Order: sequence, then C-alpha cells, then structure tokens
Amino acid sequence: MAVTFIFGANTISYGQDDLQDAIVTLSFIDNNEAKIIQAKATDQDGSPIEDLELYFYVQRTFSLLPIGDFFNTTDENGIVEIPFPEDLPGAVGGHVKIVVKILESDIYNDLTLETIKNWGIPTPVDQFEEKRSLWAAAANAPITLVISVSGMILVIWFIIGYIIFILYKIGKIKSDVHSQFNEENYFKDVIESF
Amino acid sequence: MSKPNIELQKFRTKRGKRLLSHLITTSLQYKLWIAFLLILILLGLIGYYRQLRYGLVVTAMRDYTSWGIYISNFVFFVAISLVGSLFSSILKLNKNLWARPLTRISEIIAVAAIICAAVIIIVDMGRPDRIFYVITHLRIQSPIIWDVIIISTYLVISILLLYISLLPDIALCRDRLTQIPNWKKALYRITAINWHNHPKQIAMLQKVNKILAISVLPVAFAIHTITSWLFATTWRPGWDSTNLGPYFVSGAFMAGAAVIIIAMYFIRKHLKLSKYITLSHFDRMGKLLVLLSLVYLYFNINEYLGPAFKMVGVEGEHITELFVGKYAPMYWFVQLGGLVLPIILLFFKPFRKPLPILIIAIFVVLGAWLKRFLIVIPSLQHPYLPIQGVDESYLHYNPTWEEWAITFSSFAWLLLIITVLIKLFPVIPIKKYKQGSETVFKQNIF
Repeated sequence: MAVTFIFGANTISYGQDDLQDAIVTLSFIDNNEAKIIQAKATDQDGSPIEDLELYFYVQRTFSLLPIGDFFNTTDENGIVEIPFPEDLPGAVGGHVKIVVKILESDIYNDLTLETIKNWGIPTPVDQFEEKRSLWAAAANAPITLVISVSGMILVIWFIIGYIIFILYKIGKIKSDVHSQFNEENYFKDVIESF
Repeated sequence: MSKPNIELQKFRTKRGKRLLSHLITTSLQYKLWIAFLLILILLGLIGYYRQLRYGLVVTAMRDYTSWGIYISNFVFFVAISLVGSLFSSILKLNKNLWARPLTRISEIIAVAAIICAAVIIIVDMGRPDRIFYVITHLRIQSPIIWDVIIISTYLVISILLLYISLLPDIALCRDRLTQIPNWKKALYRITAINWHNHPKQIAMLQKVNKILAISVLPVAFAIHTITSWLFATTWRPGWDSTNLGPYFVSGAFMAGAAVIIIAMYFIRKHLKLSKYITLSHFDRMGKLLVLLSLVYLYFNINEYLGPAFKMVGVEGEHITELFVGKYAPMYWFVQLGGLVLPIILLFFKPFRKPLPILIIAIFVVLGAWLKRFLIVIPSLQHPYLPIQGVDESYLHYNPTWEEWAITFSSFAWLLLIITVLIKLFPVIPIKKYKQGSETVFKQNIF
C-alpha cells in the first residue's frame, strides 16, 4: 500500500540559499519475513533526491522512539527502506503511529509525516483479559491474596461484631432483686468499696 | 446547673474522693491547659486552610520529597498507639498486676493516637474530598489499602478495649456522682448501658475482656508491620529492608512505654495520685523501657550494619548521609541520646525515679519522632533516577511554617483527646471483679 503525504514546511533559510520543499512518499511492505517501511523522496519536479537523511520514529506516550539505523539516507533512486521492529507494543488493535522527518537539511525544509499502522503487538486494555498479578488492575488481584486478606478481615471483624453483640446483651440484662441481694450477701467480707 | 460543689458530693472513702474528684471539679490549671491546646489547634487550622486553598505547594514537599513530616508524624502516632496492646494484652495476660493502674492511661493514649494517625493521613492528601476513592477504587494488592484496613480495625478494637474496661467505672459514676452537670449524668447513663453488677453481666464482660486481650495482639503487631510495608515494599534505599517490620514494632513498643512514663508523671502530679502511681511503678516502667530499648537497639544494629558493611550504590550514599553527612547530627542524637544513653542511665535506680525518668522518657520520645523523620525523608532524596533539571530547592526538605503548625496542632489534638477522656472518666481502674465459677465478686481497687 502506498501512502503519500505532502506537507508544506517552514521557510527557514540556511546560508544565502533558499530551502526547497521535498516530497516524501511512504510505502509499507508486509511479507512473511519482515515488515518494511519504504520512503521515496522527490523534489518539486519529481526527480528523486539522493543522499537525503530521513529520520524514522514511532510515537511513544511522551516522546519519539527512533527506529531504523542512525543514518537513513536515500539511494540514487531517492528510496530508503528500514525494517519495522517486531516487538513494539501498540494500542488495543496493535496500532502504532509512524513518524518520518526531514530535519536540519541544508537543501530542504523540515518535514514531518505521520501515519498509523497496526504493526505493533496488541495491548489488551480490557482488564478481564489481563493476567492476575500484584501489579494488575483491581479486578485481577491474585486469588490467594484476595482470599487471605478477605479471610483475615472477616475473622477479626466477626470477633468485633461478636463483642458488640455481647455488649448489647449486657445492656439487655435487667436489674433484679436477686442481683441486689447477691451483692449484699457476697459483700460481707468486701475489702473496701467506694 | 450551678457550679458543682465538691463538698456536697458524698464519698465513702478517701480513695473514692481521690480517684473521682477530678471528674467534678475543674481547676484553673486545667482551663489554661485546654486554652493552650486550643490555640495550637487554631494555628494548625490556619495552616491547613492555607493548604486547602493554595494546595500542597505551601508545604516543602516537592517531586522528590513527596512524603514529609506528615507521614513521619503518622508513623509516630501509629507507633505510640501500640502501647494500648502492650498493657491491655501482653502485661495483663502475663498477670503483671503492678501494671493495672496504668492500663486505663495506656488505652486512652492508644485511642487518641490512632485517631490522630488517621487524621494526619487525610491532612497529607492534597484532595481530601477524594478520601472515599480509597474504598470505591480499592486495589487489594496495595499496601496502602492494607494499612487503611488495619488502622480502622485497630481503632475499633482500641475503643472497645477502653470501653470494656471503663464500663463498670462508668456505672459507678452514674450511680454515685451527684454534683455533676446534667449532660455528664446523661453521658454516664447512656454509656453505662444498664450495667448494674449483675453476675451474668460480670461473667460476660470478663469473657469479652479475655477475647479482646487475645485478639488485640495480632492486630497490634499487624498494624505496625503493615505500616512498615508501606516502605519495605519499595526499592528505595533505606526502605528496601526485610528487617523493617520487627524494627518498627520494637520501636513502637519502646516509644509507647516512654509516652506512658510521661503521662504517668503528669497525671500523678496534677491529679495527686501518688498513692496509686507509686515510685515502684516508675521503677518497673524504667526496667520495662530498658528491656524494650535493648530489643530496639538489636533491630537498629541489624538495620544499619548490613548496608553500612556493603556500602553499595545508592544505599551507600544514603548510609553516608546518615552517618557523616547532612543528617548525621540528627541521626547520632537519635541513636545515642534517644536510645543508647537512656538504656545506660536506666540501669541505675536513681534514674528510675519520677523526675529523672521523665526527662529520659522525653528524650526517648523526641528521638522516636526524629527517627521517623530519618526513616521517611532521607530515602526520598536518593532516588534511583538521578535528580536533574529541577529547582535547587527540590534537593532539600525544610518544612514550612504551615507544616509545623499542622504537626504541632496534631500533637495538641492528641493531648486534647487524652485530657478530655481523663476529665470524663476515672483514670485509674476502680472496679475489679474476681473471676470464679460461682460468679462471686468483690469490689476492689486493684
């Protein structure tokens, strides 16, 4: 599949020459062996640009992850190919944003192209697909932890509840003559009372 | 009701008069003390208002020192709350009868401390309105959730421990005290829950007492062990230690014992209870403090010797800062002045008299608070990712006046709760029931 983006970039001048706009066309080749990103750079007349450095990235959460070689330079046909890494995690459907840039070229203006491909490893967002672990979402806590913590809480709060129940029963016991009588009788040898 | 007249209150014995007079009369000293505490609390509320209004930026906490003196204060309060279990469980189950007059004080301190611990955590939150997210978005894997659960549980158990030991004494106050305001009479009537010394009531209370004395022990050990896991389940230097659980628990018992000694001194002096809190009690508490301090010293050596021997990486930097660096004066004051010197001095009987042991206990408590500061803050200033690209002030932590005001206010709250509880209820257990199969009982003081 060929995807073409044309962006008009800024018009910063280097030295005494005016910078030109380059046109970069991206192609994505997916065969059984590898995934390849192919970029073709041409000038405004359609002629291929040789020895143009292109920078390839994948969008991270807050920055860009460089892919390919350190220098990715177009050949005599204006083409450069880089392999796409097999182990990059993507979004839910494996989608990743691929970014290609021309940066600080002496001849051409800066350029940025972005496209989204589902070449990454899908990351499950649904917590019910997630494996149970200490670092998982709340619904995926380890079973042993859930059982042991819940068990301990139930035991101790059962004891607390029982104590409160006993206090309730204590409050329900009525004062009667017998308890008064018992108090008098049993206090014959009482040491001292208030 | 007109001003209570102590002369009109009938006491059958001098002992009754001594133990209950303070529930009827209110001295000028008491009023000044309350006023002082309320001023501190007011200053704390002003600081907290500023914190709520402008955010946690009014504190000195930043990206690196994200836990400050609020958290070290929290750990300190949890530590001293363990004293309730020490007296009401460990000493009681081992039939240390000498400690009985101190059980009420320890239970009151435990309740007050755990309440203040729970509150100071909420103060540390930038958005206290989100406190219930802890329940609605609960993750059972989180040590913070374990701490929330265990603190709530220990709070309930401490209140029950205090209430159950108080129950017969509340009934006594309900039945005997006449020269008290109506609201106090109502308070005693309601909280006495129809207690009237019925044999069945006594038997049930003793059963519940025993269940609680046993149940509180694992909860008390769990509360400070789990608090230690807030630190030990991280990789930070100084925190990543398997020794932290017993280190915290032993430190808690030591600090709690010292707090009891301080409370004993002032309660004995101001309520004139020298016949009930005797020189023998100070002597025994001194010996107990030595024992607990020796255990804590053992865990201290374990905690620091290993990393100091290896001096590896960030752990080595942390140890260097404690032993010879920025925090060295505080560290050595804590270890020597707050631990080693008290142990040595308390071996000698003259130092186990009330005034000397009070001073020693104050140093122990001060050392305990500063030790919690040293546990929390220095580790945060040695993160694994290097500190770079931030303001220079982020490298230091100097608490702001708002933080100090709130911290002192938390101590004022602690003392206010203790003072109010002592003012409302007898501080020395009055009624004691002898256990027996025939439910024979005697009234006795100790």
